[in-house]
Amino acid sequence: MIGARVLAACALAVCLAGAPAPHAAPAGAAGLRSGAFDPPRPAPEFALPSTGGAEFRLSRQLGKVIVLTFGYTSCPDICPTVLAELAKVRQRLGGTAKRVQVVYVSVDPERDTAARLRAYTEQFDKTFLGLTGPADQLAPVWKAYGVSVVRRELPGTKPAMYLIHHSASVFLIDPAGRLRVMAPFGTPVDDVVHDIRTLLEE
Amino acid sequence: MRRLLVLALAGLVVAPAAGAQDAAIRLERPWVRRAPAMPDARPGAESTAAGYVTLLNRGPDRDALIAASADVAARVELHETRNMSGMMMMERVDKVELAPGSRVELRPGSYHLMLIGLKRALTPGQTVTLTLEFERGGRMTTRAEVR
Repeated sequence: MIGARVLAACALAVCLAGAPAPHAAPAGAAGLRSGAFDPPRPAPEFALPSTGGAEFRLSRQLGKVIVLTFGYTSCPDICPTVLAELAKVRQRLGGTAKRVQVVYVSVDPERDTAARLRAYTEQFDKTFLGLTGPADQLAPVWKAYGVSVVRRELPGTKPAMYLIHHSASVFLIDPAGRLRVMAPFGTPVDDVVHDIRTLLEE
Repeated sequence: MRRLLVLALAGLVVAPAAGAQDAAIRLERPWVRRAPAMPDARPGAESTAAGYVTLLNRGPDRDALIAASADVAARVELHETRNMSGMMMMERVDKVELAPGSRVELRPGSYHLMLIGLKRALTPGQTVTLTLEFERGGRMTTRAEVR
């Protein structure tokens, strides 16, 4: 039963994301190595409260590469792995990292307060911005990026503790505000660095 | 086969943990992911961290990792993350099977120890004591570096 729900959610995610075709050939769209959106499309606009204090509005970020990913602070395995890799990406970019903003959108509005999210993202890189808010603000952003979010209770926990199955891809939005890359979990750090450099140099 | 032989030889050179000389199970490269002091913690929203270690079964018998504990956590569960078309699903598992001669890596995106209810922040460079319980091999303790 749960399996079926999850499958449905996945199918939906692929649908909404428009199933970007991962380019096998390095000479793919604009020479990008990770899964490229071809042709590029305008990145869905959103505005959410940020751990930096001010509201984060995507359309005000033109000129930077936005590295957008989704997760939650009670996630011990995948989320910290993604954030640790993105911290490495910024280190490898050196001075260029000034033109790159990592944005981490919560998939757990119930537990992820701004304070928790800040503590969580800052341990990897102090420049990372966490975005959280009420579910009715977050859910449309998940949907716009095809991120499926499925809550799963941990049996035998009192009070109930839950995990969240979610898409862990990393999206790259170019300095012109176009959605260009969806890098699946496990994409090598070097490939993400390469693609960010490519987008900055276009 | 050759890989196994190399691993076995490496095992002879590297001093095994005290008391583990005869153990069929060998633990390699244990580490725990960093975790901050989490504000707004409440029951059901405790802080968590993942622990990783490579398990080698050098014995002639099957064995399995069946439980774990950590000095820094209220409890530890065995979990597996699976990638279903890009959606990462984490599920609790009862055991991690270890066939004779097998090597099973607990690593990000796969099997891991889920430390729940951390008693303190885990910052890189610290060490955590992990105790692993095996069906046949009993309990083994190892020191894991926080990364």
